[in-house]
Amino acid sequence: MAALLPLRFRMLHYISTVDKTNVVEIMKALKPEYGTEKQFTKEVFAEHLLDMKANFVIDDDEVMLDDKGELVIYYTISEEGKRLLKKYLPKHWQNK
Amino acid sequence: MKLSGNQTALAMKGKLDAQFDRKGVLIGLFSGGTWGINNVVLGIALTLVPALGDNAALYAIPLAAACMNDTLAGLWLLIYNGWAGRFQEIIRSLKTVPGLMVCVAALLGGPIANSGYLLGISMAGPAYALTITALYPVVGAILSRIFLKQHILPRVWAGMLLSVIGAIIISYVPPEGTTSENFYLGLMFASLAALGWGAEAVLAVFGMSMIDPKIAINIRELTSGLCIAIFILPFVGGWAVISQIVVLPETFGIFAVAGLAAGVSYLAWYTANSKCGVAKGMALNGTYVMWGVILSVVFMSAELTQNLVIGSMLVLIGATLVAINPKEFFQKGGVA
Repeated sequence: MAALLPLRFRMLHYISTVDKTNVVEIMKALKPEYGTEKQFTKEVFAEHLLDMKANFVIDDDEVMLDDKGELVIYYTISEEGKRLLKKYLPKHWQNK
Repeated sequence: MKLSGNQTALAMKGKLDAQFDRKGVLIGLFSGGTWGINNVVLGIALTLVPALGDNAALYAIPLAAACMNDTLAGLWLLIYNGWAGRFQEIIRSLKTVPGLMVCVAALLGGPIANSGYLLGISMAGPAYALTITALYPVVGAILSRIFLKQHILPRVWAGMLLSVIGAIIISYVPPEGTTSENFYLGLMFASLAALGWGAEAVLAVFGMSMIDPKIAINIRELTSGLCIAIFILPFVGGWAVISQIVVLPETFGIFAVAGLAAGVSYLAWYTANSKCGVAKGMALNGTYVMWGVILSVVFMSAELTQNLVIGSMLVLIGATLVAINPKEFFQKGGVA
């Protein structure tokens, strides 16, 4: 397996591969790669998403409540996020 | 931005965003306070360094202190990141371009700016050097305008102007009895620090779109400490200073405490920059001038001159204007 990306970078990359996604879906998708690490918590993932939104690389376009009445935010990649990935994503990750 | 969802969800989302903004501002202020503590503790540590002659006092001691401050901060952060299970993130980040950008930011902020900062304090005195270096948000905002194409509001320019005026009020007249050619050289070094930190913040924020700020700052501190140790200290006799310090447990202990304050402060600064953007993060961190002066007066019996009070207040008001829209701040009773 190719070397892992830094978590925030990989999250941005994952968001670029789907139409829209939320923190639970991202964690499910990245569990095989980062699941055993201490940083693999919902709190850490949610913080990365808020930071990336503040840095304009992702957008939060849709919100809803789940069965338990908890807030679910759906994220999409922004044009700036796409540009950064195109420029800085390591080559062996480009077509994944 | 268009958001869709039911009313309750939208309200919860609004609350979350407000919390996030407030957290960013508080962390930015915290970074200023802890940087003020670092200044004072480092000042105490420097008074405990054995006398090594005039030349050492001018270059070797401040540069050795810059090296120790960054390296010890880097080691404290390494312990923190290791404990939080992020050690491997450091290695991963260094293999990517954004991670390497953070290294370049580290060189601008560390060997260049931090050395300039401590040389400035050593040559021109803390009151003058600290205030000049506090202009770095202005430099950062100008650089972010040029390189990140950030739009700068008239209010922000006004805040910057106030900061500059405040700095001039403090630094225009050299202190009595200590006027020397080194005073102006010290001011130049302090200006170099402002340039370096401004450039660092812009570059680091760009890198942090893809790198965790907690990792970015760890890379920054270790890169900076190592580069000063390898490329600067051998030429100024800095290693002789460090070898003297490490055998004095009390002195080394105080340097370690200063390093802890620096690590916490830098961690907060990078986190704030990542949450509320370069201009706000820098301006909030810039309040360290005020904290530094207050702490020096309270704990170190420093003289509180009129110039210092007026100048520091102007720098503070200017920095606040750069960061916060007063109209929105008072209307919402929260963060603009």
